[in-house]
Amino acid sequence: MLDAVSAELLKFSRHRATWFLIWIYPVGFILLFAIAIAVALSGALPESPGTPSTAKWIENTAAVWYVPPHTLGRYLIAAFTAVVFAGEYGWNTWKLVVLHRRRPALIAAKYAMVLLLLYGAVLFTALLSVVLTWASDHLTGDAIPPGITPAAILHEHGMRAAVTIAPVLLTIAYTSLAAILTRSMIAAVVIAIVIGTAEQTFTAFAPLLSVYAPRLIWGLYQVLPGYHLENLGSWIVEGKAFEARFPRTGVVALGWATSAMAMAAWIGGLMLLTLGSFRRQDIN
Amino acid sequence: MESEGAVVELVDLSKTYRGRRGGVHAVRNVSISVGAGEVYGFLGPNGAGKSTTIRMLLGLIAPTGGEVRLFGEALRSNPRTLRRVGSLVDGGAFYPFLSGRRNLQVLARTHGGEGADARIDPLLEQVGLAHAAERRVKGYSTGMRQRLGVAAALLHDPDLVILDEPVNGLDAAGIQEMRMLIRNLCDEQGKTVFLSSHLLHEVQQVCDRVAIISRGEIVREATIAELLRQDEGLRIEASPLAMAQSALEGRWAVEPDGGAIRVAATQEEAPEVVRRLVGAGVDVFGLAPERRNLEEVFLSITQEDPDA
Repeated sequence: MLDAVSAELLKFSRHRATWFLIWIYPVGFILLFAIAIAVALSGALPESPGTPSTAKWIENTAAVWYVPPHTLGRYLIAAFTAVVFAGEYGWNTWKLVVLHRRRPALIAAKYAMVLLLLYGAVLFTALLSVVLTWASDHLTGDAIPPGITPAAILHEHGMRAAVTIAPVLLTIAYTSLAAILTRSMIAAVVIAIVIGTAEQTFTAFAPLLSVYAPRLIWGLYQVLPGYHLENLGSWIVEGKAFEARFPRTGVVALGWATSAMAMAAWIGGLMLLTLGSFRRQDIN
Repeated sequence: MESEGAVVELVDLSKTYRGRRGGVHAVRNVSISVGAGEVYGFLGPNGAGKSTTIRMLLGLIAPTGGEVRLFGEALRSNPRTLRRVGSLVDGGAFYPFLSGRRNLQVLARTHGGEGADARIDPLLEQVGLAHAAERRVKGYSTGMRQRLGVAAALLHDPDLVILDEPVNGLDAAGIQEMRMLIRNLCDEQGKTVFLSSHLLHEVQQVCDRVAIISRGEIVREATIAELLRQDEGLRIEASPLAMAQSALEGRWAVEPDGGAIRVAATQEEAPEVVRRLVGAGVDVFGLAPERRNLEEVFLSITQEDPDA
């Protein structure tokens, strides 16, 4: 299995689109950071209100973790996953590799590679963020709040990273399935964007929509993954359930275990469908 | 390496594609057996079912009927047998953004077998791509891709090598090198080669045995020698032709051939043919053995098939 993952890494280490979709995290961060420093040094901003709190300072360094679970980040992950899974159809290279490994192992290696590169890039960006924030405060003479310890930084970053896991895995899962079924990078990206947008839109507007079909929307809201993603995030960050108020049917506020199981079912189900579809697929 | 027994066995192999107007039978009840150390040719006109059969043999597409057995084991229940197979399909499809060497490294790691990495340089040398090893494959010519495909097929030292149209895009020298390489794989390294090609002259020179597929069905399977012998004949210039024809008919098949007749007799039977003609009072002016090449035999077989 390690050989297969290493083959995937070797394969995509020279693929420009892949690197764009991975390096965009650190490069994008450095660009934004450079712009912020330039603006601060030019004096265009009003005087800083003072030293931020320790919690705020640490939270700022963890900003990159907000990207993967939100809309733009999920589109980027969808594009990356589509390239990795559907690229083999475009290059006609599945027939080159399926002789050498069992098909499920090839798909598993792709999942591992996507997660490894994605989390590697975000982790690197987070590290960069801590180092650059600290360095810029020194350079600009801003005071660094007291009480910043590696443990406190690790705790905040770990918590933010944990919030990303379910949405990232879900995006990878439905994009990989779309890629295997459509055999096309573009189709997979389009389908992933449509699904992602629909899921987030439904989650946001379900309480409003529920006035038209209260029971149906109430039921769908608790079955579809959108609420469970919000709920898991809320449990991790705030330690309590995410409350969704429905005008006619009441409040949805589920335990973390229920949401974790629901997400495991969605993600596991979609990944198993991907494996199953690929295992039975004719490669012409 | 298997020393005896069939390396490849196709048993009643079929593939039907579902369509709106019923199924399309791409391959129907194909049964062949390839022994260890053979170079086996798989011939057929375009659309005859060669590629579909090869894809089923490689586990790329699932048969709708029958079975593929490799090294005595059913492929469906033991797909790991494919790790003993090397293949070149579709002219060598590769990652276009990687160099030739990097493509082989990816394959070596995917396979995970011992020693594949160490074989990369000798193989690039062997297929004449050492000078272009660091160039991206997207800049390769068709012939270069084909050569890289052969290197990829041999990378993990397989016992069975399946080559689909391996000489496509190669120049005359390249074709000759490929012919020598294929014979060497069999004669020196004891590998079994399953080869599909439309260049019948090449097939005739390298294959021990061939199967001809037409309209999804095997219409002939024989050694090259048997196949050519089946169509052996004698061209006889004699007078009067009508009398000559009636003297021989009943014993051999006779057909007019311009100003002569063609008799479906072997060279060994020539004295008997002459005796009969002379005995019937026919004047014989010339007799020449006629042996068709594989291309002529192939055309006569595939054109015999009323559907082809």
